[in-house]
Parts: sequence; structure tokens; C-alpha cells
Amino acid sequence: MAYKFKRQIFGFMDLLRFKKMVPKREQKFAEASAKPLPATYRVNETAKILHPGSREVVLEEIVLRTADTKTYLFKAPSPSIFRAGQYASLSCRVGDSIVNRPYAISSSPLQALNENKIAVTVKKAGFFSDWLFDNAKVGDKFTLGDASGDFFHDAIRDSKHVVGIAGGSGITPFFSMAQAIAEGSEDFDLTLLYGARTEQDLAFRKELDALSGGRIKVVYVLSDEQKDGFEHGFVTADLIGKYASGDFTVMMCGPQAMYDFVGKELAKMGVTSPKRVRKEANCVGVRDVKPQTFALKVRLRDEVFDVKADSRETLLVAMERAGLKVPSRCRAGGCGFCHSRLISGTYSIAGADKRRLADVKFGYIHPCCTYPDSDMEIDVPPQD
Amino acid sequence: MDRYDAVVIGAGNGGLAATIRLLQGGAKVLLVEKHNLPGGFATSFRRGRFEFEASLHELNDFGPEGNGGDVRRLFDELGVTDKVEWVPIPDAYRLISKDPSIDVVMPFGIDNFINAMEKAVPGSRPSMEKFFLLADQTRKAQAYTNSRNGVVESSYMVKNFGNYVRTGSYSVNEVLESLKMPQRARDILNAYWCYLGAHCDDLSFTHYASMVIRYISRGAMMPKMRSHEISLAMCERIYELGGDIWFNTEAVKIVTGKDGGVEGVVLKGGREIKTRHVIANCSPHVVYGKMMDKVPEDVVRATNARKFAGRGFCMFLGLNKTADELGIANHNYFLYDTCDSVKQYEMMKSIDTNAAQATVCLNRAYPECSPPGTSMMYFTTLYMSDAWGDVKPQDYAKTKEKVASMMIDRFEQYTGSKIRDSVEEISVATPMTYARYCGHPEGGIYGYESQYWDGLNPRLQMMAQDHKTRGLRFAGGYSMRLSGYSSAYFSGDITGRQTVGDIKREG
Repeated sequence: MAYKFKRQIFGFMDLLRFKKMVPKREQKFAEASAKPLPATYRVNETAKILHPGSREVVLEEIVLRTADTKTYLFKAPSPSIFRAGQYASLSCRVGDSIVNRPYAISSSPLQALNENKIAVTVKKAGFFSDWLFDNAKVGDKFTLGDASGDFFHDAIRDSKHVVGIAGGSGITPFFSMAQAIAEGSEDFDLTLLYGARTEQDLAFRKELDALSGGRIKVVYVLSDEQKDGFEHGFVTADLIGKYASGDFTVMMCGPQAMYDFVGKELAKMGVTSPKRVRKEANCVGVRDVKPQTFALKVRLRDEVFDVKADSRETLLVAMERAGLKVPSRCRAGGCGFCHSRLISGTYSIAGADKRRLADVKFGYIHPCCTYPDSDMEIDVPPQD
Repeated sequence: MDRYDAVVIGAGNGGLAATIRLLQGGAKVLLVEKHNLPGGFATSFRRGRFEFEASLHELNDFGPEGNGGDVRRLFDELGVTDKVEWVPIPDAYRLISKDPSIDVVMPFGIDNFINAMEKAVPGSRPSMEKFFLLADQTRKAQAYTNSRNGVVESSYMVKNFGNYVRTGSYSVNEVLESLKMPQRARDILNAYWCYLGAHCDDLSFTHYASMVIRYISRGAMMPKMRSHEISLAMCERIYELGGDIWFNTEAVKIVTGKDGGVEGVVLKGGREIKTRHVIANCSPHVVYGKMMDKVPEDVVRATNARKFAGRGFCMFLGLNKTADELGIANHNYFLYDTCDSVKQYEMMKSIDTNAAQATVCLNRAYPECSPPGTSMMYFTTLYMSDAWGDVKPQDYAKTKEKVASMMIDRFEQYTGSKIRDSVEEISVATPMTYARYCGHPEGGIYGYESQYWDGLNPRLQMMAQDHKTRGLRFAGGYSMRLSGYSSAYFSGDITGRQTVGDIKREG
């Protein structure tokens, strides 16, 4: 079909209009303001508060919570905000190594926004937490990463009623949630079943009691002690049923053994769907294999480092031991922050493979959950 | 190793394509990306059992093997087509509008599309046929302009692509009116407008028509492993060709010399890379606003003249029921309050009134994209103002949730399916997310708006004039091909080839 478009009375006028497009645009350019272009924008500034990135923080206060647990309160250089329940990576140099661990934030979102203060509460339970407990002092400088993780209440996905099940130091994200509910930055009802060995092992006891009433109910569950005013034993289906009925979302934070136990108890109640049961992931630990040392070649931009990798430890730990500045956030394989390219070698992944499909296809790994099974070479985005 | 023929800033779609072009042209290239992943918005992320596509609804103009569209041809030339597994998108779109009341599914294929339109709007056929004729000539004219890097002779254009020139200065609505297309057919045909983000009184006809025909004539495709698969395929190609990619590496300054041209790039931390050629896969506002010290006044004016296009908002849902169980019948939905794009555009300026959405259920194209018994959806809208700039950090989570909830309500109300109770995973990206992720001003995801005076035609014609700084060219959604996946890839193709030429001329 031969068709000639025409809009004006005379077709040549359509052509003329076309010819004017360039002069028109040139004119628009020439007429515009000569004032300097903005260096930033409101949305971009808000984004910096929501995700400030890694920054240097100063340890301002240390509070002993139990015989083996302390709260470390940091002063940040600028305001930030997070969702109660999230964690942040705390990092510093210990000897020749760079050490980095994700810890659940135990302070409130508005405290981070209004006072630039963020706290983590850590139980002595490993290399870095022991070091912190024994060495960290007020005035020390650390690097604190972005608040991260999906362990927070979502009003669309979750029930208005959350049953929080905390084991030991797993109380920290719930303590943040309780404060957030009290200050109005979170909006849900929290029934907290807080398990510990003895009354002495309960952190935040006084603070939680003060927050209780109204939307927050706290039930202490002591496994090794029988006392008035405390539940005794473990968090069983009966115990959950005693404090929660109808529609509720379970959020759990604690050791794997607790997840396994409570998971079975919840199954008795018919509560199994991933929608209703949410668990905070735990860091990948060492694996039980024959000790062996592999050569790990690490490319960081145009630099190449040869380091030793222990078959029992993850690639991330090997790089940190060598003092390399590499990215680390969840240390549980899920967040993808340490996403790195495999160049050669064989490996095993701790737990479920949480990589993206295309990462598997094109040979990318998450060093935080990857153990070496041979000499390896990887290309890692540096964390300056 | 601190000297490269060219440095590409940003591993978005434009930057990736440009890097491959530069390497194919024999240049030594460094691609720097401030994020730890390639692709910019072309990526994916995991939540629980689901891997969500971050941004791609469908890649247009790809077509099947042997009858490939321009995008497939480009991917063939880049050497990435076979690195990706593709699945076809079943139908073009389902449009549901309140005013006027419309609920129609439009198929791929020009004949099918015209037939479906004739069925929905009897008497629309002649104008639809003319539309596709004009659109086809537009596509050909653009391919020619691209192949000439924007340098074309007007007499040749008038002789060979006369209708392109004749329609070239008009808006979508002006041309469709001249075609005497029935209003209802215009309403249905214009449904894709939100993919370009300017309303149809403003949006250039040739821009819109070339996009529509790219979708309709060859259908659209989706990479099986989400757009992350394309981005990693491009990276693999870059490594094969000997290119360097540095992730977690932000370029903070472009160093200029006495002639005002590029001499190097300073990375965060202070390291300087010497180069005389930079391709910036980011906005001129960012480059001229904070990455260069001495910016000539005409460049400042030209940059200030431009209008930011839509700021992004996207909700991702992982559902614990199948699409069948939930009654989600289609892959691609456009839900509008009104088919009057001018009115809809106005409503999209405010957080309280914007419930327009482009919604995708990927399982309808690729059933295995989520675990058995589940499905995945994403809901996208744009804000046509800086409304999110008013949102305070303490109100951010609640505002996000309010909009997400509106979107779910809207979808349920329009389609009758019930999805809210099946939400197992949810993630919401706002203008703040996009601002943080790619650094775009105000969280824009569509570059500069395709206003009548700054649409595709004048940008293509002015490629030479817009190249104001020696050694600095732009790729991606803010550049000459405007936003969208295919446009960004094309812009990288053009800019990469142009820079190869620049390097060769320097000897």
C-alpha cells in the first residue's frame, strides 16, 4: 500500500516542521539556565540515610548485659535508619587480619536517625566476639556496614501478630523490634518467647519488662531453671499455643538446634509454610573435613594475591586471614554482597545454594559460604 | 597498567554493550562499576525461594532465530545471543482501563494485532494498517540513521523515508488523529506509552511507533535466568575479548586537559587511570554536576534544559500459589485509571493518586521461573514528579507499604484475582532504591523525558552537536536512544563504535 502521510494543508509544511526540530532543540538548550548543575538531589540524599554504606563509627558506650554478653553502642558520622530486626556488619583489624561479622542491631531505628547511634549486642561465642568482649574500649574506631537483611516485619506479607521466638543472643533483633513498636516506627503486636538457660542469662530483662504491656508481651522460657513467673523447658507447641492463637507470623532467631526443634513443634500446629515461619540465617562456620591447605589466588582489580586456604574454612575467612579487603555482609551465603568470579578450582557450598541461577551458569560464587576443594583462583570485587 | 584506550563508567546495559564494541574495535578497555554486580537495573535478586527479575518486562525486537530483529542482530554481532537461553512472551499485553472501560488482550504479530483491534474496535483496520506502515518506515529510517552514526542527508531521508520525515515532528496523538483512528483504538494502541514515560500529546510519534512495531512484529523475549543472565553473558564476552572489569569501583572524577578534553578518570580512593576516551553510562547531570571541574556554560545550559523522566517504583511478589490458582491469566498487564495519557500522567505526579501499573507474571511466559506451586509477579509504576523527595526517612517504610498495598488492591479490583493472602515474599524498590543503586538523580529509571523537543528524532539528528567534550560520550538511558533495554543496548553499540572511530582518528 503506497501511503503518504500528510497533516498540514500542504505536505511540504510537514517537512518544514521536521527541519525545525534541530533548531528548536538548540534554542531550548541556549535558553536554559546557566546556574551550576545540582551536585545532589533530595531523593538521593534520603537514599544516603536509608543506605549510608560502610562507615567509620566510634565506640561510645559498653554495657554488660549478662556474664558473657555486652552491648556496644556506636556513634556514626551521620543519620541513618533501618528496619528493626536487621543486622549490620562490624569490622576492624585484629592483628594481621581484617575481621568482620554481622550482628543484629539491638537499638531502635529512631535512635539511629535522631542521635546517629547504633548498638549491637554480642555474646562471647567465637573469635571476634571474644576479642570484642575482652579488648574493645570506648573511643575505639570500627567500620560498620549498611543495615541489611530481610528479618523484619512486613505489613503486607505478615500477620499483624508476630510470635517472636528468641534463643539466647537471638533476642537482639527482637529487642530492637520492641523498641521500634514503642517508638512508633514499627506497627505490629509482638509476643516474644525468649528462651535462655537461666534467669542470669537473660539480656535486656529490665528493659523488656519496661516495654511490656499493650502491644508487647514477653514470656521468659528457662531451660535449666524452674522459677515462678517463668516458663520452664523449651518452646513447644503447647507453649506457643498458650500464648498465641488465630493468625500469627512466627519469626525466629537463635541457633540451628532451636530452629530444628521449634520447626517440629510448629509442624504439630500445622504452621509450616515459609510465609508464616521466618528465620534469621546464621553465619557459615567451619566444616568437618580433613585439614588441608590449598593455594588460593585472589585477583583484586589488577592486583593478584597468593594466600593459603584451609579446607575447613570458607574462602572469605582465608582472604580475611591474609588481611585482604574483601566484601562481606551476611556471611550466610544469601545476600550476594561477596559475589565473586571463579576462574579455576573446585569448591563446595555450605548449606543450600542461594546464588542466582545465572551465577551458577557463568561460574560466580559467594566466598562467605564456599569451601575450597582444590587450589583455586577467584576474582573478587575489593572492599576499599 | 594505569593507562587504557578507553574507560567505560558504569556496567549498565549501555556500558556493557559499549565495552564489547570497543574491544571488538581493538581498544584496550577498562569498565568500572561502582556496584558489585553488572547490568545496572538489568539484574536479579533472591528472596526466600524466589529469584526476582529486577526490571525487564520483555526484551523487544529480538525475534526467533533466522528472523531476528535489530536486538538479536546486535546481540549476534556482540557475540552474546547464544550465551543466553531465551523464552518467548506469549501475548503483547492485556489492557484494563476504568475510563473508558476497556479490557482487551492484544497479541503479537502485526496481522494478529490489527485483527484483534478490528474485533475490539470495528472500523479501525484502515488506520491501523497505516499506523504499521508508518511505523515500519520509522524503524528502517532509524536503522539507517544509526548505521550513519546520525550523519544523514535530508534529501536522501525525504526520498527514502518520506513518511518518517513527515511524521517526525508530531506527537503520537497528532499523527493518530491525522490517521483518523477511532478514539477507542487509539486508547488501546497507546497502552505502551508508560514504557516510554511521556504522555501521548508530548511523546514523539516516531519514537512510539518504532517501539510498538519492534514489540508487535517479532514478539518479545525473556532470558530464562532473568536479565542477570544477559548481564553476565556480556561480562563473559568482555573477559573473552580481554577486557578488564572492576566492580566495587566508583569513578568520581573525569580529568580534563588544556583543551577541555578527557585526560583520565579518578577512582574513589584517589587512583587515577589515564585515558583520552570515556564512555559514561550515567546521566550528564551526574557527570557535569559532580564529576568534572570546568564545565563550559553551553554544556551547563544544555543539561539544565532537560527534564528528568519517570522515577521508578516496583513491587516484587513471591506468591505461594500458582498463577492458575490465583486466576492470573496473562503475562503482561497495563492497568490504567484512564486511557487519556495526559490525565494519567498528571495523576502519576503524586504518591496518593498514582495507581497506574504495568504488571507482569513471569510464570505466564516461563512457568518454571519459580518453584512448583508458586508464582512471581512484579508491579511497576513511574512518578512524573519528585514526589518521593518529600518523603522523610522516618515515613519511608510506611509510604512504601502504602503504595504497595494500593497496587495489590488495584490489581485485585481490576482483574478479580486475589493475591494478597498468598504473598510469601515481598520486596519493594522506590526512587530511593534506584537512586542508591545506580546513582540516578531523583531515582529516575527512564533518563531524560521524551518531550516533543527532546525526543528520539532531534537526539539522533544532533548526536554530533551533543558530543561537546573531546573524548567523552554517553551511553544508556540518558543518551541518544533514550531509555529502555533495547535502546540502552543500541546506545552502547553506537557510542562504542563512535569511540573506536575517535581512537582511530587520534592514531
